[in-house]
Amino acid sequence: MLIHETARTAWRSLAQNRLRTALTALGMIIGVTAVIAVLAIGEGAKASVEGRIRALGSNLLTVRPERAQGAVRSARVETLVRADADAIAELDGVEGVSPESTGTAQVKYREANLSSSIQGVTADFLPLRSLDVASGIGFSPDDDLGRARVAILGANVAYELFGDRSAIGERIQIAGNGFTVVGVLGAKGDVGFMSPDDMVLVPLGTHEGVLFGQSYLGAITVKVRSEGESEDVRERIGELLRLRHRLRADAPDDFEIRSQTEMLATMGAITGTFTALLGSVAAVSLLVGGIGIMNIMLVSVRERTREIGVRMAVGARRRDILLQFLVEAVVVSIFGGLVGIFLGWLAAFAIARFGGWETIIPTYAYGLALGVSIAIGIVFGVGPARRASTLDPVEALRQE
Amino acid sequence: MSLAHEPPTRAAQTPVVIEELRKIYHADRAELAVRAVDGISFRIERGESVAIVGPSGCGKSTLLHVLGCLDRPTSGRYFLEGRDVARLDEDERAAARNRHIGFVFQSFNLLPRMDAVENVELPLLYAGQRDTRARALRALERVGLADRAHHRPNELSGGQKQRVAIARALVTEPSIVLGDEPTGALDSRTGREVMELLGRLHAEGTTIVLVTHDLSVARSQDRVIRMRDGKIVGDGPAAAEIEAFVQENAGEIA
Repeated sequence: MLIHETARTAWRSLAQNRLRTALTALGMIIGVTAVIAVLAIGEGAKASVEGRIRALGSNLLTVRPERAQGAVRSARVETLVRADADAIAELDGVEGVSPESTGTAQVKYREANLSSSIQGVTADFLPLRSLDVASGIGFSPDDDLGRARVAILGANVAYELFGDRSAIGERIQIAGNGFTVVGVLGAKGDVGFMSPDDMVLVPLGTHEGVLFGQSYLGAITVKVRSEGESEDVRERIGELLRLRHRLRADAPDDFEIRSQTEMLATMGAITGTFTALLGSVAAVSLLVGGIGIMNIMLVSVRERTREIGVRMAVGARRRDILLQFLVEAVVVSIFGGLVGIFLGWLAAFAIARFGGWETIIPTYAYGLALGVSIAIGIVFGVGPARRASTLDPVEALRQE
Repeated sequence: MSLAHEPPTRAAQTPVVIEELRKIYHADRAELAVRAVDGISFRIERGESVAIVGPSGCGKSTLLHVLGCLDRPTSGRYFLEGRDVARLDEDERAAARNRHIGFVFQSFNLLPRMDAVENVELPLLYAGQRDTRARALRALERVGLADRAHHRPNELSGGQKQRVAIARALVTEPSIVLGDEPTGALDSRTGREVMELLGRLHAEGTTIVLVTHDLSVARSQDRVIRMRDGKIVGDGPAAAEIEAFVQENAGEIA
């Protein structure tokens, strides 16, 4: 029998029993929907990480203090100082340096009051991080030297304290000290942990001398002249710091140098792992869907034993019967796959629209979903179809 | 249709030749062995109409299954259009059923989800032929049901269903039409109509073999084969054999 006749027969037998067909396909539908949605979330997360890398520029290095091996966990990490930053700035291939110090303090404006991350930075911080003030001005080198009591607020902090009013020129209290707001950063949106939206920036000198009374840095951000020099510069910084910190040849580094790209690549890898994990959970439901198909196909073979006998009596070969039931199983699974793709697309859209996560359905996902559907139809359909095709025609005709 | 190893003049050949045919169930265990068909021989010439009669359990259904290539004999030879069926593999037997055999069952065995013409078309589809629809419609015309072509079996009366089944049996122009109690599920009037149809087809040259215990059905055939306990106990013109059958079963029937 020709394949399109077989397909027509299969389609008709499925159309005759719509509810059962729909229920049979349900497992596949759920599985494919889940896989598509998970892939869309994973791909979206990957894209937003890549977007961040692009926004940061790929030629930034971050030098952080590393507590010595075996040190008590809560021990303060006090290895990087401003002089280190100044020395790094002199190195060949370094275009800019931004020493940074971190702390947390209470920020108050009239009745509004919140605990915020306070970053001590120099005038070079904003250009180096590709950040800009939405209103007001940035810091000048004098602010740093003179320990000026001025602050730049992240977008979220400004909104929390001032709502929609302008914050420029207003007096706020940071850890009990009066500061004047000179600038507000433009909103960056969600860029992961340590978002500049949630920070308050103060001059580094002020951070050290007035607020926290300590002269150790939390980090030094280094801008490399070109991406190609990144590795060389990293080595030079390493040598320089070991020298400056008088580390013996066998002592481990008391700092670590990472590129921004590297950090984001790590985040990307984590996202990928999550996607794979969730994806395999979703794939298990595909398996369950396949078992559902097999179950119903077995019932169908039993119910239609007499039909099989009649078909054999009029000349159906075993492979005609095999093909008929196999095609039926595959049609159900393709149907489930297509509905699942549609619902997955809908879910991805809804997650992006209402959940605020970026979702992208990768093109390969459509092919993958369809291919897997067909494969599941074949794998789980072949057993029942074989059973149908090996029936004894005399016995089958005797069946009521 | 013509295959290389088939003689070119099919009409000249005896379509069914059976020699010492046996079908024994559980042949491997002597104490359980059931000799359903036990060494029978006969020939059926082209254009004959034959009824096989006998009490239940005499082996006539088993014989019908073997004749229809649904089942293989345990021993003996069965030549269908000159080819030994026992030596055919499964696909070849399916092809033989498709090409040489037309089944008419007691319970019609139409596929319920298909309309009349699609049921009739089915053997042609398995034969991989073209113009299947037109040929199926012609076959329905022969049984006088062209106007019911698009009715489903549940929209047809019993007699109409059996006529659709006969059209399905005829559509491939088989060597023999095999009927298994073709009037068994019909009332006597519709039964007679179906027999008249089969009689007409026979007059047009169709070879017909019926298994029945309805004597009026047997009487309308040229020849009757009587079976008992898996053996042939009589084979001859219908009138004489039926007379003998009635004599033999007089005690049981009364």
